[in-house]
This record gives sequence, C-alpha cells and structure tokens, in this order.
Amino acid sequence: MSDKKQSNRSFKNSRVYVVFFALAVALVFSVLITSAATMLKPLHQQNRILDKKTNLLEAANLLPENERLTPEKIQTIYDTHIREVHADPRGQILRQATGDSLQLYLIHTDQQVQGYIVPISTRGLWGKIHGYLAFEADGETVAGFSVYSHSETPGLGGEIESQWFQDNFKGKKILNAHNQLVSVSIAKGKSENMPENLQDHYVDGISGATLTGRYLSEGLEETLTQYEPVSIIFRQKKGSLTHLETLLDE
Amino acid sequence: MQNNLSHYKEILVKGIWRENPVAYQVLGICSALAVTVKMSTALVMSIALTLVAGFSGLIISSLRHLIPSNIRIIVELTVIASLVIVTDQILQAYLYDISKQLSIFVGLIITNCIILGRAEAFALANNPADSFVDGIANGLGYSMILMAVAFFRELLGSGQFFGISVIPGFVYDMGFQDMGIMVLAPGAFFIIGLLVWLKNSLPGGISHEKK
Repeated sequence: MSDKKQSNRSFKNSRVYVVFFALAVALVFSVLITSAATMLKPLHQQNRILDKKTNLLEAANLLPENERLTPEKIQTIYDTHIREVHADPRGQILRQATGDSLQLYLIHTDQQVQGYIVPISTRGLWGKIHGYLAFEADGETVAGFSVYSHSETPGLGGEIESQWFQDNFKGKKILNAHNQLVSVSIAKGKSENMPENLQDHYVDGISGATLTGRYLSEGLEETLTQYEPVSIIFRQKKGSLTHLETLLDE
Repeated sequence: MQNNLSHYKEILVKGIWRENPVAYQVLGICSALAVTVKMSTALVMSIALTLVAGFSGLIISSLRHLIPSNIRIIVELTVIASLVIVTDQILQAYLYDISKQLSIFVGLIITNCIILGRAEAFALANNPADSFVDGIANGLGYSMILMAVAFFRELLGSGQFFGISVIPGFVYDMGFQDMGIMVLAPGAFFIIGLLVWLKNSLPGGISHEKK
C-alpha cells in the first residue's frame, strides 16, 4: 500500500506527467476563456459604442441630468443632435471620409449647427487616453470635455474621468488675445494661481498626476493644431448659426 | 444528514465570522479600500469575489489528487485567473458602467490573498463540497465587511444609500456637510480599523481567545 502510494507520488512529480498536466490545464482554461470572450463579444461592442456616444453627448452637454438614461434614450438624443462628418486639410466639412480627412462631429439643434466635437486620442502615462473635446460655434470656446477610455492610475491620473476635472474645461479659450492658437493645457495645481492672461487657457490640474496632465496637454495641443483649419472655418462665421446642410454643401 | 448540515454550518460560521478574512486574517484590504466608496460597486465586487472563491475552491479541490505538488501554485493561479477573466467579461457585457468603475479591481481579484489563501489552506486538503462552502463562506465574510464599510462611507461621504439620497435636506440646511474624508482612502482605513476592533472585542474575538 505504502509502496503504491510512493510510486503514485513519484509519478505525479515525473516530468512527463507535470508537462502533460500543465498542458491539459492550459488547454481547458484557454477554451473556457476564449468561449466566454467570443460569446460576449457582440454585447461588449454594443456597450462600447453606447459608451462612446454617451461620452460625445456628455462633452456636448446634451445629457439630461437626474434622469435615468436608457440606451434608447441616448440613441435618440445622439440621432437628433449629433452628425458625424469629416474635414479635409483645408477645414472644409465633408459628408464622406477621404484619404486625408479628419473625423469630427457636429452638434446641431433643429438643423442649426451649435458647435463641433473633436475626438482626442493621446498617450497617457500607462496607455492611450481617448476622449472628446467639444467647442461652441465660435471656434474658440471649449464647451466640454470627456474621457471614455484610459488606463491611468485610479485615484491619481484616473481622476481625468471625474466630473470636476471635465467640468473644469467649460468656457476655456484656445485663442490668446492676438488670435493665435494656444490650445488648452492642464495646470500644475489650480489654474487661478496662474498669471491672469493664462487663466483662460489652463484648467485645474490633478495633484499626484503631473505626467498624465503633461501628456494630455501635449495631446490636446497636437490635436487642436491638426483641427485648426476647421476651427478657422467656424471662426470666420463669427459664431452665427449655420444650417447643417448648408455647411455640408459649401 | 444532520451531521452534514452542522458540518457545513461550522465551515460557514468559521469563514463568515470567526475567522473572517478581512477582520481576522486581515486579507483583501487593498480592494476593501478601493471599491467601497459606493455600495453598488462594493456589492458587485462582493458577488464577483464570492463566486470566484467558491468555484475556485470547488475546481482546485476536485483536481487536488491530480495536481503535481511542484506546479500547484501555478495551477491554482490558472484556475483563479481564468474564473476572474470570465467574471470580468460577464460584467463588461451586462454591467458595463459598474465594470468601468471597478476598473482594474475585478482583475485584481486574481491576486486577492483570500482566494489563493483558501485554495492553499483549505481546497488542497478537503473534499470539493466542503471547499466550495468554505470559498463561499470566506467570500461572504469579505462581502459583509465590504458592505459595512461601503455603507458608512457612502452615507457619511455622499449622504446616499445605493445612490439614493437619504439624508433629508433640512439636515444640510442646519449646517451638516458630507465628510470628504470618507470618499478618500483614509476614510476606509478608519472604518475598517473600527470594524476590526469591534469584531475582535465581541464574544469569540481574538481578545477573548487569549483570556
């Protein structure tokens, strides 16, 4: 009996057995994970698209407060207020994407263009930060900012998705007194401690997340420089409302 | 049968109360700090951890005669990690908002000492049914503390209970303010500390054991 136990134990620790056991375990569990991931993929994608739309609406301040948001409701608001368009390098708004066009979203109410939303995609400390920056129709005032995906440290850089940080962007200007593009950056500490002429271009920073702030500032500047031709088109209209279809047909 | 029931009851009482993973074994503190700002996130985390603890106990215990002892930790981790990933996938599909708030903490269930601890200390030496009950019991013990911490933090920190404001407006008018510290990690430290103290000074706690 003890002999049998002994041989059983040594068999269990023999190399062949260990390798086969490890392979079997790996196989069984990878099948389990793969099937779970594959089966749930359509739901994940649906959630992700809805989450992006919710964030677009949030940046554009179109989400009703204190109301339960059903997916249908979000879809309805999105369909009535947002139009996905493209812009060529001269800032011309196009219906369809071309080779070198930039993607953006127009905010409209009853077909009157109220502003536009620029997708932000920049490096963060640990990974990409994705979000949206919305502008008013004057082409220089920030209407809102939102982040829908990031991998920053929770509690530190992760604060970029918190309400106070995002609200912080509202009303900031991307042009200085000489009408030059200065972008909007994340301050170290409170923006009210900055020199007065800079306060309009800085938002309050997050303590403990200096690098996240720096990367986000760089990313915003880069994106805004890219989208500057579009902003110029809006600025030329001096904030007067334009019909959606006219803008597209110009 | 009677015997069996009292046997399971014994395992449950031990996991939930007498050797409570957070208050007695002081395990799983990291996530207890991180996900207890709101009760809804704490509840989802509790359910996820309890299920993973139960099923990892069940699976590891069923394999306990087959697992070669020199790779047993890796095998245990494979089982636990797979269960956690599947749980995370399910949360992402059906509770997307909460899963976003829990962010990496669902993934970190893998490294939660409670689960590996139960696998090592219990599942490898006991039969599958007992191990399942033990996992669930420890999960419930963890959940109990988590929910208590979340209850106080959400109530004192944001004046809410499961996201519903419960502190009437006139209390705020009289000058009451939400305690900002409760929303931050130190608030959780205080509450966990108080709970550990309370638990261990009640009958059956450490302070009574020594006498």
